[in-house]
Amino acid sequence: MASKLKIKVNGLVHSVTASLDTPLLYVLHNELHLHGPRFGCGLAQCGACSVLLDGKEIRSCVTPVAAVSGKAITTLEGLPALWAKERGTTASAPALHPLQQAWIEQQVPQCGYCQNGMMIQAADLLSTTRNPSKLQIKQALNGHLCRCGTYTAIIEAIQQAARTMAKGV
Amino acid sequence: MSALEETVDVFGATLTRSRFVKGAGAMVVGLSFVGTGAGAKAATGSEIPLLPGTAHSPNVGLSDAWFTIHADNTITMRTGIAEMGQGSASTAFAQIAADELNVPYSAITEYVMGDTDRTPGGGIAAGFMFLGAPNIRKVAAYIYQALLGMASTQLGVPVASLTVKDGVVSGGGKSVTYGQLVGGKALNLSIPVSGDPTSFLGLTVLGNPPTKPMSQYQVVGRSIPMRTIPTIVSGQATFVGDVRLPGMLHARVVHPPALGAKLVSVGQLDKKEFPNAQVVTKGNLVAVLDPSEYAAIQAASILAGKTKWTSWSGLPGSGNLFTAMRSFDYASAPVLTGVNKGNAEAAFASAATRLSATYEYPVEKHAPIGPTCAVGDVRPDGTIYVHMHGQNPSMLRREIATMMNTAVDNVVVRWYDGSGHYGRSNGGNTGAEEEAVILSSIVGKPVRVQWMRADDMQWSTVGPPELSDVVAGLDSNGKIVAFRVNHYSTAGQDDRPVGALLAGLPTMPAPAISPPPGSFSGISHGISDPWMYDQVPNALQKGFGTWNMGQGTPKTDPGYEQNIGLRGHSMRTPGQRQQNFAHESMMSELAAAAKVDPIQFRIDHTSAKRLVAVLNAVKEKSGWETRPSPSPKAATTGEKAVIGQGCSAMLRSNTYWACAVKVSVVPKTGKVQVLNLVTAVDPGTVVNPRQLKRMVEGGAVMGVSEALREQLVFNRSGIVSRDWVTFPILRIMDVPDIETVIIENPSVGDIGGAGEGPNGFVPAAIANAIFDATGKQPRRLPFTPKYVRTLLNG
Repeated sequence: MASKLKIKVNGLVHSVTASLDTPLLYVLHNELHLHGPRFGCGLAQCGACSVLLDGKEIRSCVTPVAAVSGKAITTLEGLPALWAKERGTTASAPALHPLQQAWIEQQVPQCGYCQNGMMIQAADLLSTTRNPSKLQIKQALNGHLCRCGTYTAIIEAIQQAARTMAKGV
Repeated sequence: MSALEETVDVFGATLTRSRFVKGAGAMVVGLSFVGTGAGAKAATGSEIPLLPGTAHSPNVGLSDAWFTIHADNTITMRTGIAEMGQGSASTAFAQIAADELNVPYSAITEYVMGDTDRTPGGGIAAGFMFLGAPNIRKVAAYIYQALLGMASTQLGVPVASLTVKDGVVSGGGKSVTYGQLVGGKALNLSIPVSGDPTSFLGLTVLGNPPTKPMSQYQVVGRSIPMRTIPTIVSGQATFVGDVRLPGMLHARVVHPPALGAKLVSVGQLDKKEFPNAQVVTKGNLVAVLDPSEYAAIQAASILAGKTKWTSWSGLPGSGNLFTAMRSFDYASAPVLTGVNKGNAEAAFASAATRLSATYEYPVEKHAPIGPTCAVGDVRPDGTIYVHMHGQNPSMLRREIATMMNTAVDNVVVRWYDGSGHYGRSNGGNTGAEEEAVILSSIVGKPVRVQWMRADDMQWSTVGPPELSDVVAGLDSNGKIVAFRVNHYSTAGQDDRPVGALLAGLPTMPAPAISPPPGSFSGISHGISDPWMYDQVPNALQKGFGTWNMGQGTPKTDPGYEQNIGLRGHSMRTPGQRQQNFAHESMMSELAAAAKVDPIQFRIDHTSAKRLVAVLNAVKEKSGWETRPSPSPKAATTGEKAVIGQGCSAMLRSNTYWACAVKVSVVPKTGKVQVLNLVTAVDPGTVVNPRQLKRMVEGGAVMGVSEALREQLVFNRSGIVSRDWVTFPILRIMDVPDIETVIIENPSVGDIGGAGEGPNGFVPAAIANAIFDATGKQPRRLPFTPKYVRTLLNG
């Protein structure tokens, strides 16, 4: 049975209509038209659907929409504003989060399908570990699958983003 | 003055211009100067049926279908060949086009790919450098020559006296831009083409317009960023899964529980629980449609439990695969031969040492991260729109037309970003497209079919298995005197769409002994791993092919054409992947028998300088210990990890590759870890070094994954692997340190392919390193802990 719900996504509160058990991913895609998170497995096995829930990475494909009410969801599209908030700037959000910028500069994506989850998980990691080692990056991202094999580039991009973020620019 | 339409030959292309009479003479003089030669002659045989240039089909014989030069000197580029992700084809193609057109890369501001109603040529998103790039080079070269002629007329300067830089033609103290020459109008340059855009390889541009020597390329060779990345990282890219049309219904298909099962009865849904759900069946195609995506998912899950099917068990089962492969019929299809030099059979008699081994390559899976998705939209006027992501939109167009019994021109395929397919969709469909069209035609609304993870694992095509029997002999000096291999495999290119098969609708023919012309669906098994060791006096490669597993044969089964079976399909580095594992494993086994370092052993058996160079490059970069295998420290027991080194090499699409890996093996657990992986690649001309590096790294990861993790599990009824637990792939934790050495070799005068390769030769290198570490040669992929324990205990 469909219910009316309010969810907070990328800083804005949205009213949506969905049954309470609807996985968040379908609400984000079909109600809010946010395409950063993607359907990969529906089983929380691959990470293509990841979003941040109060700053921690979750799998939106298995998270019921009812479970996120009252909490703050950040999708790939919301990373630039999140970065602006973390820096405490009041200026308008930058075009890209340092991770997204590093992803471009390191030329990470190939097909790109999984990269949302990689960047979301990396944002979670860098929020607690400012200067992660290669091993820490691997441990943090081990639950995310990439079939194109971009893992080497991902590690390099996260290290670059960490350096940028340490400078606070 | 009066208007005159005149046509001028441009190296076999035809420029049609409306002009005023005054000055026309100069025009003709200018262009006839360039319009002679072999190109013009070659083009005259091109009386081929062109698509008419209707609303749904561009006129592929006009250069305007490929490139539009705008008045502001920017350029729109279009190709039917679409992006497939592993490196950006649009970036590489635009680099090549910019060089041939003599414009800066930044001038190509727009690139349209894949859409069949607004891009030309069709063709597969694979082999980009040797299948796609030649067309682009030629069209750009024709346009360049036409522009030179037009500039000559306008400036009153002979073509030979013109100079061109960045899209500006200068001569006689004056200059004119391309934009000014074309004036924002159609160029009206007819180019000679042949072939059918909806065929597997698409259209071929004919003739030989003067192209730039690759040594003069300036945009090619630069690490230009991929055009596709900024929208992907910001979440702004439109992937096919994002397509939403007004009135669209979400569908989930209830696929049968067995590959050959037939529908007995369809279950019913509780109307109170699913008030808007609609169950649709056509033959054995069963689906639930609902305006709500999640309702469709839930309803399909319930319906699956209530729907009854006949039982079917026509597969051997993956546990029994290689035994079963010995009993297949390889005698019906012609045997294909690769290298055939000297007399291997006779030479074995003189060999001092003779080795024989069988190598086993399991059934593989392309396994894209995104399960297939498509939107079908059958309009009341009969026009069929298909929104899809795949490697051959134009061929899909023909498949849809065949299935729906309509003209190709009534089908429009729109292409979007999507998950990489690694070869799976190079024959058009990915699985969801036909289902979406069938369902849309029944309900009269746009229908979005999104396969779930299990659908994608169990109902898409598979990489066929391979069984390779190798016999080789060494002389008393440790040199190979004879090498003979027999490769056995099942059908390798079955593009029949599963939706059409389930629904009982027309498809292209099933894999056959004699497939239709232009089709790659023959069941004969070709040699895909060319022999590189020309110093071996006697060598013979044979390929033996047969039908799909579980499909029956046309000899025994009247329903053969519509039977589904385990549909084999090309997968990244197809055929060569399987065969190189056997060839390059045996090369190292022979080196060990000869007590020679395996890199040196390869060098000793070839005169190919490019091969020697890549082998030496990995030797240098990898910290290679020059010595025979196995390692003096090799062990088959113990809890302590033993370290081994291994190498392999490959020649593919005029690109030479070599690889060196270092692995650790824990004998007690059987766990193999790849520590370091160095690849050297010589593709001749390098289009984009950084993209090449990233592509090689990714291919290498796929190779490690195939070597250590991947094998499709199936029982007698169908595929059992259904997710990432039952079909594991490599995770980031297990990724080795990867180093890539790029050897630019412009003297080759060619751009070799490099999107494929590493996943082909990496498994043999890892196998050889396991031998080095343990003294035992693994000959069956994947090298799981269980398999390695068995190997070491044996």
